[in-house]
Amino acid sequence: MNDATVRGTRSDRPRHGRRRWVLIAVAVVLVLFGAYLARRFTRDSPVVYDNIVEHYKYGSLGSEAFSPPYWVWKALPVMFPEYLPGEGYQSLGFVYEEGKDLPIGFSRRRLNGLDGLGLNCAFCHTGTVRDTPESAPRIYVGMPAHQFDIQGYFKFLFDAALDQRFTPDQMIPVMESLGADFDPIDRAFYRYVVINQVRLGLLQARDRLSAIIVNDEVPPWGLGRVDTFNPYKALQLNYPMHEVPVDELIGPADYPQIWNQAPREGLYLHWDGNNNSVDERNLGAALGTGATPTSLDYASLDRIDTWLREFPPPEYPYDIDRSLAAEGEPIYQTLCADCHDFDGSRIGTTIPLDTIGTDPYRLHNYTYDLTVNQATLYAGMPWRFTHWRKSDGYACQALDGIWARAPYLHNGSVPTLRDLLEPPENRPAVFYRGYDLYDRENVGFVSDVPEANGREFFRMERTVPGNDNGGHLYGTDLSPEKKAALIEYMKTL
Amino acid sequence: MARHGKHRRWWVALLIVLLIGIALGYLLWSRLLREEPLHYEAELDNFKYGSIGTEAEGLRVPFWIWLVMPRIFPEYLPGPGGYVSLGFAWEEGHELPIGLTKKVIGQPLVGINCALCHTATVRTDKYAKPEIYVTGPAHQFDTQGYFRFLFASASDPRFNADNILAAIAPNYDMGFIDRMLYRYILIPQTRKGLLEFQQEMSWMDDRPEWGRGRIDPFNPAKFRYLGIPVDDTIGNADNMSVWNMGPKVQNGYHYHWDGLLDGPLQEVVLSSALGDSVTPDTLPLDNLERIQSFLMNAPVPPYPFDVDEELASAGAQVFLNNCADCHAIGGSRTGSVIPIEEVGTDRHRMDSWTEASVTAYNSYADEYSWSFSHFQKNEGYNATLLDGIWLRGPYLHNGSVPSLTDLLEPPQSRPQVFWRGYDVYDQERIGFVTQGEDAERYGWRLDVSVPGNSNSGHLYGTGLTPEEKRSLVEYLKTL
Repeated sequence: MNDATVRGTRSDRPRHGRRRWVLIAVAVVLVLFGAYLARRFTRDSPVVYDNIVEHYKYGSLGSEAFSPPYWVWKALPVMFPEYLPGEGYQSLGFVYEEGKDLPIGFSRRRLNGLDGLGLNCAFCHTGTVRDTPESAPRIYVGMPAHQFDIQGYFKFLFDAALDQRFTPDQMIPVMESLGADFDPIDRAFYRYVVINQVRLGLLQARDRLSAIIVNDEVPPWGLGRVDTFNPYKALQLNYPMHEVPVDELIGPADYPQIWNQAPREGLYLHWDGNNNSVDERNLGAALGTGATPTSLDYASLDRIDTWLREFPPPEYPYDIDRSLAAEGEPIYQTLCADCHDFDGSRIGTTIPLDTIGTDPYRLHNYTYDLTVNQATLYAGMPWRFTHWRKSDGYACQALDGIWARAPYLHNGSVPTLRDLLEPPENRPAVFYRGYDLYDRENVGFVSDVPEANGREFFRMERTVPGNDNGGHLYGTDLSPEKKAALIEYMKTL
Repeated sequence: MARHGKHRRWWVALLIVLLIGIALGYLLWSRLLREEPLHYEAELDNFKYGSIGTEAEGLRVPFWIWLVMPRIFPEYLPGPGGYVSLGFAWEEGHELPIGLTKKVIGQPLVGINCALCHTATVRTDKYAKPEIYVTGPAHQFDTQGYFRFLFASASDPRFNADNILAAIAPNYDMGFIDRMLYRYILIPQTRKGLLEFQQEMSWMDDRPEWGRGRIDPFNPAKFRYLGIPVDDTIGNADNMSVWNMGPKVQNGYHYHWDGLLDGPLQEVVLSSALGDSVTPDTLPLDNLERIQSFLMNAPVPPYPFDVDEELASAGAQVFLNNCADCHAIGGSRTGSVIPIEEVGTDRHRMDSWTEASVTAYNSYADEYSWSFSHFQKNEGYNATLLDGIWLRGPYLHNGSVPSLTDLLEPPQSRPQVFWRGYDVYDQERIGFVTQGEDAERYGWRLDVSVPGNSNSGHLYGTGLTPEEKRSLVEYLKTL
């Protein structure tokens, strides 16, 4: 350029000068456009909620890379309704609030140049309760998502990804018809990158999880339950899951509640008491939403952690016979408090399997090899896992808000508190779980209705591996009067 | 004036280049060479996780690569469970299993130490977590499997910067500079190093597998650095317990299965470190000295299950009459080499150690402040002390007999095929569970007809009455 200018004759100069300006202008435009693109594709901005409850329900944990992006997610039930149990995502038990676009448990975050969608704690820890078959469900945050079909959700995503129609050609018009306002860059990005990548990602996740989630030899989890730890083996650690013995692939467990965490610090948490650090439990659960040690939004998780420490259990929303409850209190103190009260001597410890006698699968599928592999998660960070342990039984849980934590036992094999006070042979051999209609008589959810409001509930059979309803015989030999008093008292916890 | 200015510009340019060079040099030095001391206060921790110098070369793998390898190449491991599937003894909450070290030489590097082959695990049932016995024989660990996992991974075209960095990225943000160093230096260099090591170990590919709990202890030394041409010997032998070295040193007992060393324990420790791929120039003498004194008094773990004391005391007499002369402190032949004609056990391990090897090892370190002079060639096997014998199954030097009960049977009645390396304990027969679905799933199949695996010989006690045998086994629990 310089040389050309120097060598040029006087008469050439104006033309060359113009060309120079044009080139400079082009360069400036290119640089600006590059900067715009860089900004567009590196911007990381979550939708932020100042209100902590809103943050819990809709805030981002940085798990977006794991879930299909917003517009893909919106298009899926429109394109593939046949893979859902009913109408829309609601049919999986997702909880929608009036006037909200997304169900509780989903977050939005602008990331990698697109509208990302993530999962958060509320996804598995928000429950609903209905007073009458006709009434609208009430939402309880922090409550076990007893109505939610997480396996159904994964199967839906996987079935969609397997479908030949999961293509840019078919999906982009659907997204636009649903309101996606794509500019040309978006459209090109979705067409040439995003949709294919999402599909590939889902197929890879399916490949890793299929031994647990799409395997005829492994009984279904059903509504309100999840195999908590096998997905870590499959996703974080990439175990060859098809080589894992089938017994180890079984172990569905109820979602726990997550309120009132402060007094739980130092107690052994999770059903089998495999960790006694609230922080590590939270960091582990955050990985479960799809976040990774480098994508996790630590500040966001910290807000939730702080709030949950003090967040109180919900009060029993129906009448309590106070005098009967008062009769029940001493029974509880004598019979239950040692294991189940925050002041009890055995709270947060594990009771060996031979003693407690409940279903063994969940205990055994949290294996020693997983324990020590977990110690490599968050490596290079001060909060690398150091508290996971392999236990020999199930942990004594505090019973705060126990009315809202049905069905009971770790595998949700006993529908109500009243049933739990019966010896195993008298507990229901078959019942339905997932209906949110409350059973005030027995304290738990109505469990003899196979379907309602267009939803089919999960038929729970105790003979299926992982569903055994034996064990925990405490209180089964009380008189009927004492049982009634004890149950009345437990409503107050 | 102009000339002066031009000169100054040159000087400034030179200075800038120099400064950039120094900065770059410092950067490379600090990210690739700068050594951070690794110190463990407690002797036990030092044994479990302390460095013996293997991070400098050979089997070293940068930590971040080591971390993601089982997630990228799970098919090269014996089963699900990541590294655990190889039988590592791994303490809960620890970033690395026992026997692996993490030392920073520019980058965190993973090496091995003595505890890798000298830490045993024991479980009471298949669901229980293992009890860990440091200084016990790693009967459950597949050393060759670990090598082969590293080699197979390094040989795989997917062992490349794109894949490895993509697997690290969700777990750790190493920053731009380290990422570049990994991409252009550490990943290619690690691959090259492992492939070279594989080449040096290729002799093992055409002889019988070591199997869980066994290694070929001296052929690597012979062929890798003693300059012995590759021969066709098979040295497969059990990992040994290394606890309680005091009495062995004080009584002048032989070391190793064929007693190829005696005298100062230092020769055993230093040659073992060399065998673990440390070079003579980088031997950390101080720390090896520390480990050596730790082993002098490392306690023998008592049998953790029930002992019938009455039966055991009856057995004490049987032991005194039949075993003590070779196996008890004060026995006339304890710690000495019993001729092969007499003991009659598989001769491969003994034959793998040759006169030429003796000469080579005894002159190997002549230029150093330390050296070897006690290597010897023997025609037999060492009569070892039976301290903690309950935890030293399978038995005989090649681990060809699963339990003490089986060892008291004549060879034709001992199991011909069994699975070793499963760590659930067999309290009936004294040894580990070696038959059944789980032993087959987690263990390694030992067939006594394979060369090096013969379960012949050591007929002592096979003629005792069943009652005497029972009482003897009961007594052996207490050693």
